[in-house]
Amino acid sequence: MNTEGSAPVVLAARNLVRRFGDRVAVDGISFEVRAGESVGLLGPNGAGKTTTFSMVTGLLRPDSGELLLGGAALVSDTDPIKRRLGLVPQDLALYEELDARRNLGFFAAIQGVGRSRIPEAVRSALEFVGLSDRADDRVGTFSGGMKRRLNLAAALLHDPDILLLDEPTVGVDPQSRNAIFDNIAELRRRGKTLLYTTHYMEEVERLCDRVIIIDRGRIVADDSLARLRHRAGAGAGAELRIELEEPAPETLTGILRDIPGIGSVRIDGRSVQVRVGSLAAGSSQVLGRLAEAGIGVRSFSAEPPNLEAVFLELTGRSLRDS
Amino acid sequence: MDSWIAIIRLDLALFLRDRKALVLLYLVPVLMAAFFGQLTGGTGGKAERSAIGLVLVDLDGSAASRGVVAAFTNDSTFAVVVTNEAAARDRVTAGRVPVGLVFPPGFSTNLLQGIFQSDRRPVVTLLFDPSHETERSLLEGMLVPKVVSGVADGLLNVDVGRDLIARGRTNILRAQRLPEIQRRLLLDSLAQADAFLESRRTSVARTNAVAGPAELPLPYRVDAQPLTRVAGARYNGFAHSFAGMSLQFVLMVMIDLAVGLLTERQSGTFRRLRAAPLSRATLLLGKATSYAIIALSTFVVSFAVAMSAFGVRIHGSWIGFVAVILALCYFSATLALALAAIGRTPKATRGLAIPVVLILLMLGGAWIPSFIFPSWVRTVSLWMPTGWGIEALDAMTWRGLDVSAVFLPVAGLVAVGTLLGGIAWRRFRWDGGPGS
Ligand SMILES: Nc1ncnc2c1ncn2[C@@H]1O[C@H](COP(=O)(O)OP(=O)(O)O)[C@@H](O)[C@H]1O
Ligand SMILES: [Mg+2]
Repeated sequence: MNTEGSAPVVLAARNLVRRFGDRVAVDGISFEVRAGESVGLLGPNGAGKTTTFSMVTGLLRPDSGELLLGGAALVSDTDPIKRRLGLVPQDLALYEELDARRNLGFFAAIQGVGRSRIPEAVRSALEFVGLSDRADDRVGTFSGGMKRRLNLAAALLHDPDILLLDEPTVGVDPQSRNAIFDNIAELRRRGKTLLYTTHYMEEVERLCDRVIIIDRGRIVADDSLARLRHRAGAGAGAELRIELEEPAPETLTGILRDIPGIGSVRIDGRSVQVRVGSLAAGSSQVLGRLAEAGIGVRSFSAEPPNLEAVFLELTGRSLRDS
Repeated sequence: MDSWIAIIRLDLALFLRDRKALVLLYLVPVLMAAFFGQLTGGTGGKAERSAIGLVLVDLDGSAASRGVVAAFTNDSTFAVVVTNEAAARDRVTAGRVPVGLVFPPGFSTNLLQGIFQSDRRPVVTLLFDPSHETERSLLEGMLVPKVVSGVADGLLNVDVGRDLIARGRTNILRAQRLPEIQRRLLLDSLAQADAFLESRRTSVARTNAVAGPAELPLPYRVDAQPLTRVAGARYNGFAHSFAGMSLQFVLMVMIDLAVGLLTERQSGTFRRLRAAPLSRATLLLGKATSYAIIALSTFVVSFAVAMSAFGVRIHGSWIGFVAVILALCYFSATLALALAAIGRTPKATRGLAIPVVLILLMLGGAWIPSFIFPSWVRTVSLWMPTGWGIEALDAMTWRGLDVSAVFLPVAGLVAVGTLLGGIAWRRFRWDGGPGS
């Protein structure tokens, strides 16, 4: 199933379970991540993504199941194997009263970066996220996006080879968001192994080669992005969006359903969404039938199927409103 | 109007969330009020005060001096220890007993003669701890009735007084060259003294505390001697107040730090620390050390000011002084950690820490002289590490004791600190709340 089947497994989770009281936050999750892979953990809020990360990084002990980092289980809080991990927590984890440099200096020391190497580690991390000119300003004065970027920088100081990014772009302005995307893409290019949680599928589509879809503490899909798309589109299918001149007549549903190879049909006033098995054949047939029936088309677009559709198909719910 | 009510409802709802803090909020004022009320006299009934420590040295050994000693011993205001003069001076110097009296040889004879001849009046030495002025004045005031009743008792019990008078009368009668008129006068006054003693025999039993007539000169003199170890050392009230106040401030800061630790734990930064190869021990040790450094800086600043501007001097041992300060820092830091570990939430920790610190300061003797406490409270006071610390600082500053005086307090502070550190180690949870 993996895109990089030959690379060694650096992280393996087997049957992880974690409860909070009666609530099962993570309910038997298993997955493997190979060196250099970029894996998206996609799921709605409360799916169990952060809890999974917390177990991987040793913040939480699993109630059952096993975690292997580079083939070995974490034996203690001080296990040096932890140095291979860099965590970007979902909640900003910074000391607002201190300037950016001191924040990073502290986290570098905690991560075991040698004292003589700290200034250079801090400098390059700040440069990487584009905050060099704000190094000596109090973090409390930073914008939300800048704090997010610093939050990312704090995970890079000890040059870990596995990065766990927990919703690294949540609540940031588009500009910072693009900056963070560029940073992550660069990390990927440098060969880091990335594990990335989000509930925005665009991020996963842009940054990951493989996607693990989580819902209610369980994995519902674990596959390459291409294959998941394929599965959603049932081949080289597509989603057609048509805007009509007039509100659709009652008979339109019947007309479209008659077309061979047609998928779901959704009609709402003037807007029509149709899933077709093949973009070329499907779209010409749909447009032909509309013309025959004398229904005017104002606009027409076609999109390849996305993860939103995959999620919908797998869980029967939409990603955003769950 | 609606939004006004909405704000009130929100605040009360938030306030009611933390049950533990709530219990403390309602319980603590009641407990503290009951406690402090008890200290300051309660309902006006016979609150049982603890006795003032008093060392007595009887170099006379006469019936009269033994009478005075007995009068003090029978008075529950004082907890009397009778000993020799060197031991008495040692006890007062070390601050173990606030006051002492030395009755000189010939006290009773001179006392009787002092009634008639002021230059024969015996000198009673009053030893006192200069930080206990209150006890000293109290004792000086009480001395008058005690001597009067004690001497009278002592004399009457064995009829020594009347024997003395009888011998006086014999002497007067034998004196050949005494003019007859004077002989009569003296015999008259002796007869009056005799009658006075006879009347005391009955009245003393009823009222034990008749103050000597103020207009008459006292039949003795008091030589009050403040005792400190070093010859040049003088009591400096600032030494004590700086010790007490800097400790108070340190403990207040520790409350803040304990609360801050829990606030920090709730923030994301702790998650980062957890993800790093860092042990809980390192974390707690780091916190304890930084708290101790903060405490140390407070002491250093306080005593630097006390020494440069208020004449406070280390008359004892510098090593001892530094050891006490370090022990207090250790104790304060571990106290902060233990409070955070027990309190668990910032609010509950504040609720817990404030009464704990107030009691530590109060019973440690930082505010009220301890002799006004009821004796059970005084017993509790002996267990207050803050009290050990303040006393040990006193010992090294104005008392001028040698380093051995701090061995016990320092060991005690270190032991309690270690205990508190152990509690923190066992109970402190470093995984914060929900991660999302
Ligand atoms: N510390 C906690 N105590 C109680 N419940 C928790 C805690 N952490 C997470 N949960 C619950 O576990 C579930 C999964 O949470 P989380 O892993 O944070 O989801 P996600 O990161 O996917 O949004 C949620 O229902 C959440 O409320
Ligand atoms: Mg989360």
